[in-house]
Amino acid sequence: MVTYIVRRLITAALILLGASFMVYLLTAASGDPLEEFRASSAPNKQQLMDARSELLQLDTPAPIRYFNWLGGAAKCLIPFAGTCDLGKNIAGQPITDALGHALVQTLTLVTAATVLAILIGITLGIITALRQYSTLDYGVTFMAFLFFSLPIFWVAVLLKEYGAIGFNNFLRNPEIPLPAALAIGAILGALTAVTVGGEMKRRLLTGGIVFLFATAVLMYFSATEWFKNPGLGPVVIAIAGVGIAFAVTLLSAGLKNRKALQSALIAVGVGLVLYFVIQPLLNEATFLMIVLLAVAAVLVGVGIGYLMGGYDRGQSMRAAAITSFLVGGLILLDRFMQAWPAYFNNSRVRGRPIATIGANTPNIEGDFWILSLDSFTHLILPTIALILISLAGYTRFTRASMLEIMNMDYIRTARAKGLSERTVVMRHAFRNALIPIATIVAFDIGALIGGAVITETVFSVRGMGFLFLDGILHVDPNPVMGVFLCVAITAMGFNLIADLAYSALDPRVRVKA
Amino acid sequence: MRFGRISKAVGVAAAAALALSACAGNSGGTTPTTAAAASKAGGSATVVEVNAFNTFNPNTADGNTDINSKVSYATHSGFFYIDNKLNVVRNEKFGKMEKVSDDPLTVKYTINEGVKWSDGTPVTAADLVLQWAAFSGYYDDADSEAKTGTSYFSYAGDPTGIALTDFPELGEDGRSMTLKYSKPFADWEIAIGGPGIDIPAHVLAKKAGLADAKAFVDMLKGMPRGDAKAPQPANAQLQTMAEMWNTGFDSKTLPADPSLYLSNGPYIVKDVNQDQSLTMVKNKDYNWGPEANLDEITVRYIGSAPAQVQALKNGEADIIAPQASADTVEQLKALESQGVTVEVGNQLSYDHIDLNYSGVFAEKSVREAFMKSVPRKDIVDKIVKKLDPEAKPLDSQLFVPDQALYTESVKDNGSSAYQDVDIEGAKSLLNGATPEVRIMYNKDNPNRADMFALISESASKAGFKIVDGGLGKSDWGKALGDGSYDATIFGWINSGVGVSGVPQIFKSGNDSNFNGFSDPEADKLMDELIVTTDKGKQDELIKQIDQKIWASAYGLPLFQAVGVDAYSDRITGVKYMPNQTGVWWNFWEWAQK
Amino acid sequence: MAEDASLRQPEPGVEPILEAKGLSQGQIVRKRFLGHSGAIAGLVVFAIIFVMAFTSVGYWGIPGWWKYNHEEVSPLINDGVPTASLWPLAWGEHPFGQDRIGRDLFAMTMRGAQQSITVMVVIGAIAGLIGVVVGALSGYFRGWTEAILMRLTDVIIIIPALLLAAVMAQMAGRRDSGGWFSAFAASNGVLALGIFLGLITWVGLARLMRGEFLSLREREFVDAARISGASNARIIFKHILPNAVGVLIVNITLTMSAAILTETALSYLGVGVKAPDTSLGLLISQNQEAFATRPWLFWFPGLFIVLICLSINFIGDGLRDAFDPRQKKFNAKKAKDSGRHPLEAAPVTAFDSTKDN
Repeated sequence: MVTYIVRRLITAALILLGASFMVYLLTAASGDPLEEFRASSAPNKQQLMDARSELLQLDTPAPIRYFNWLGGAAKCLIPFAGTCDLGKNIAGQPITDALGHALVQTLTLVTAATVLAILIGITLGIITALRQYSTLDYGVTFMAFLFFSLPIFWVAVLLKEYGAIGFNNFLRNPEIPLPAALAIGAILGALTAVTVGGEMKRRLLTGGIVFLFATAVLMYFSATEWFKNPGLGPVVIAIAGVGIAFAVTLLSAGLKNRKALQSALIAVGVGLVLYFVIQPLLNEATFLMIVLLAVAAVLVGVGIGYLMGGYDRGQSMRAAAITSFLVGGLILLDRFMQAWPAYFNNSRVRGRPIATIGANTPNIEGDFWILSLDSFTHLILPTIALILISLAGYTRFTRASMLEIMNMDYIRTARAKGLSERTVVMRHAFRNALIPIATIVAFDIGALIGGAVITETVFSVRGMGFLFLDGILHVDPNPVMGVFLCVAITAMGFNLIADLAYSALDPRVRVKA
Repeated sequence: MRFGRISKAVGVAAAAALALSACAGNSGGTTPTTAAAASKAGGSATVVEVNAFNTFNPNTADGNTDINSKVSYATHSGFFYIDNKLNVVRNEKFGKMEKVSDDPLTVKYTINEGVKWSDGTPVTAADLVLQWAAFSGYYDDADSEAKTGTSYFSYAGDPTGIALTDFPELGEDGRSMTLKYSKPFADWEIAIGGPGIDIPAHVLAKKAGLADAKAFVDMLKGMPRGDAKAPQPANAQLQTMAEMWNTGFDSKTLPADPSLYLSNGPYIVKDVNQDQSLTMVKNKDYNWGPEANLDEITVRYIGSAPAQVQALKNGEADIIAPQASADTVEQLKALESQGVTVEVGNQLSYDHIDLNYSGVFAEKSVREAFMKSVPRKDIVDKIVKKLDPEAKPLDSQLFVPDQALYTESVKDNGSSAYQDVDIEGAKSLLNGATPEVRIMYNKDNPNRADMFALISESASKAGFKIVDGGLGKSDWGKALGDGSYDATIFGWINSGVGVSGVPQIFKSGNDSNFNGFSDPEADKLMDELIVTTDKGKQDELIKQIDQKIWASAYGLPLFQAVGVDAYSDRITGVKYMPNQTGVWWNFWEWAQK
Repeated sequence: MAEDASLRQPEPGVEPILEAKGLSQGQIVRKRFLGHSGAIAGLVVFAIIFVMAFTSVGYWGIPGWWKYNHEEVSPLINDGVPTASLWPLAWGEHPFGQDRIGRDLFAMTMRGAQQSITVMVVIGAIAGLIGVVVGALSGYFRGWTEAILMRLTDVIIIIPALLLAAVMAQMAGRRDSGGWFSAFAASNGVLALGIFLGLITWVGLARLMRGEFLSLREREFVDAARISGASNARIIFKHILPNAVGVLIVNITLTMSAAILTETALSYLGVGVKAPDTSLGLLISQNQEAFATRPWLFWFPGLFIVLICLSINFIGDGLRDAFDPRQKKFNAKKAKDSGRHPLEAAPVTAFDSTKDN
């Protein structure tokens, strides 16, 4: 095992050397660095060209420049010495600084999108696998491929037009006319009817209920201008909490496990009480506090489950912990909604909250809630765009993996010995289906920091993709090499982790290069 | 127009509310959603730029991107600025710049009392001396061939004019400086002292270990002019200062040391958010020049034009000047119903076709025949009319229509012979010959490719055999002037102000004279031009040169590039500007409604 | 397993397995494929687009039935607005409208579809060929062959495609002054782009095929063939490859549909297909600013991209189900041992998914 890792690391280093040499030469050969001066009529044209040539050392052959660069880059290997030297870009900024900033930009942009795409994709994949060849399956497949086929700059333009500009216009006077409310309700109802499955009667009934409920809620929202002053309030939290308690218990322990259900419901009750208690505390919130509160919520849940006990204490603990975590999430959501009017009327925001560009409103001031909302309104569109286009891969992959597992002998055995469908799916199938997904996820996270060139361009975020593209456009190898190094190292690192994780998750796989 | 559109929109329930509330702001009422909208002075605006700010010194070779110059322009003042009619406007409140004598050309600069940096230090002649030292390259003795000597300040501009001066004479009060040119220099007005005195000498002096700005001036006084033939050991202190000047002001964030972003203009930088935005607020002390209205200007960076338009539409930006294309302009025009104002105008760059004075075009009659077959009107109709309905072919090699003298010059420069395509005339000039013409252009530029298609079609009718010599974007520039083609389509940028660029393109044997144009009389006129300091005489000379160029069948200017800017109904006072300063030229007049 | 599967009672959520004994693999696959409605719909749509694209504006000098071609400039009719209408059903002079200088958008879209399909097919062929050969060799022979080939794929994976595309675009810009390659790339832009993308997209397939071969070579039937004296080549092509063909076809279709998007992204970034030639990707990236003003310039080519991608994906989906390994004997072990999965190549090369740039 250790020899395997060492050998992989050594080959990785050699590959990195070879590939970086190639990338350097390719960048140097990818264009004319002096293009912008060629057709200049400036009297000091020659002087400008000389200055640029000197800056990029164009008189030195590219292979020699590579070794100069490598000399600087090699210093990065000395830990904590701070001697890392990846050169400077044309604007004179050290690449190490530029990379640091770009990395933060890119990670804020793609992290949420990737995590959500994985979660939603896997969920959809499992559902479609369980309902293979149903309307839902075809529908999801169609949508997934449709979104996969859309060019992202197109998606971005549409999202900005309707998701930002249109929605902001709507917010000026958030009234939903009755026909619109009915239409939205009908669409939601139809979707539910398709999704739930089962007999036609049951489907129609569920769809109808959802239709009525959604329409009523929309009318209520419209009448109370809810979109301007949103909020959940303890009542909604209580109702939703009970729903969550049932759903979580259903998935994690089964409703037959009364103790687990009771634990989850108690967790909801405790959450409601705490809702009133922690409001003053939340006014002073910081990011760290939210994290600590989340941890506390989980611990409280675990505690409730432990105290309730039952024949399977672990299940109760799990159900209560997940429930209390989610109820905590609802309380947090409610608090964000309370901050919304203040954000909405902020003089920098001027009543148009959803942004089309950038990562935050310049010069905005406010507490934790305002600033978080600001990030949220800026990230929501690029996140949706990225989720839409990367959903297809995860959905299809999970579906295929799940279908395969569901036909395995041990699944049949599990069914044969009388386990409930829930146990079969959640315990036996799902976990095994996750094994190959884990490798894909590892690959994706490895490639994540490369940024998303086009998304960054259309949403005006200057991350890794922009740095890379800008380097290529100016035929400036230093930023290109910087991005390349980051991407290649993480990609290869996670590649290795993926291989190792695979063998760790599935003991039948031998590690052998 | 605006009201007509609005009345149409009333039918559409959702749009109506929107349009009316936008309209309310227009007609003088208060817009209910924005509390600050009522106040006249004060307020804020968000301007969109393409590139990200990266240095407080926009004069260096690495730092002279448009955005750095614009920020510097808003935060510094000087003896003059350039208005949107391309006139040099003096700022007498800042100081006086006067021509003391014509022969030798002597210019005296006097800074008014009370003009000071934002740290309280007065702006003095030392700051001017620093600018002079940096711009002139006076102390450089580097020889790039022999790799000897030192090059101190890495200045991006053209040093040739200011290099004609000797160490300036300084006034007793420390506020005046007199420059004496060894030869007359045509562009003396814009050589130094504006639009901004941007780097404080006292800060630089301190960083170099000198006591103050005075010590710095004294040190320079003692140094001889650099001579590349007899390089001296580098002066360590000057080198430290030059180093500081070259890179010390580079920063993508707000420096911890406030002396790195001192202001002596209407605004001062308050915050720099790396690669996202930059915010400037009013400089409280400033009263030596046009007074600014807005309390705060925020600059945001957006690269793509559609994203800029949507940001304007969504209220995230107030003023934009995207890359003009027919669709962008049309999209902006569609926003006029929301109160957005769109201004379309010419830019200083123009596209032209040049004919080589060798090969098939060695004969003047062949050049003339070719010029007669270039469909200039058609090109303008197809390529720029959509952006600017009033676009016309450019008829002068040296003036642009924004300059007052354009109309007069065009009348008798000889361009009238090439107004319309004259296939018959071309045929008779060719007299049955079918010369093969290879046209080189940047084929990655769609406009140029379309121009080539149109020219090629028309010239073929006259009997020319056109060969497509278009090259990719990284190769066409290198091919300029190498003789591998007979004609080339590309663009020049007219500086709008100053005449130094003229001989660069048109004088025999010069760097940018790619097609080998050589006319002894024109050369003589150009020699005279660059030493003529009188504006009227300059114009007269340029007119004559223009005629010579046309008379020799040089080639044809085609059209001027179109620029566009747009601003929301929150803002007033924005005016179109053809040169690179763009809308920023009168930023002090911007106001919030 | 196919036998007892057919005897099994259908369970909820699991489709009944229809085929009976005595059908060859090819027959089973065909039958299942034809029973897959999505795939059939995809096939029909793709066939229509294919025929329309290649007959309407002609191909390789063969004239088509449409009156314009993609380069011809004609006077603007109705300011370039599409003349096609549903009611009354009419085709009109320029059914999809015209661009700013009067080129017919229908002709351009058809030409673009041709080009995009060409790119797709070229990529599929090249990536498929190289991927299979490299994967087969490294999976079958292992040892040094595998080590070298797999490290080669690593190198190609980490070299950014965008950079290679930029270098290629630059060489194409040199035309005949830049040697035979430049001359070729300049006159056959799309073909060159397809070949180039094919040369870098094979790595996913190669890894996948290697996985397949790794597990298949340990199987009994391979041992049997070896003992009976079959040569390596025969074992690879006659015994192992047919067993891996399902995975292969599925992944090639996915690579192909991703290829259109890659071409779109490259054209958007200015390093793909260049004017005056056109492709669907170039059309929508050129016209993205026309989104609000002349939307047809944007919608029609976009619609065709989506249709081609969707139909190819559905065909691939149908093939995947038809070749579904779970109904063959080797399924479980193979999927596990190889560590690779039929759909692993699914998130390939869409330029701007978070996974790739």
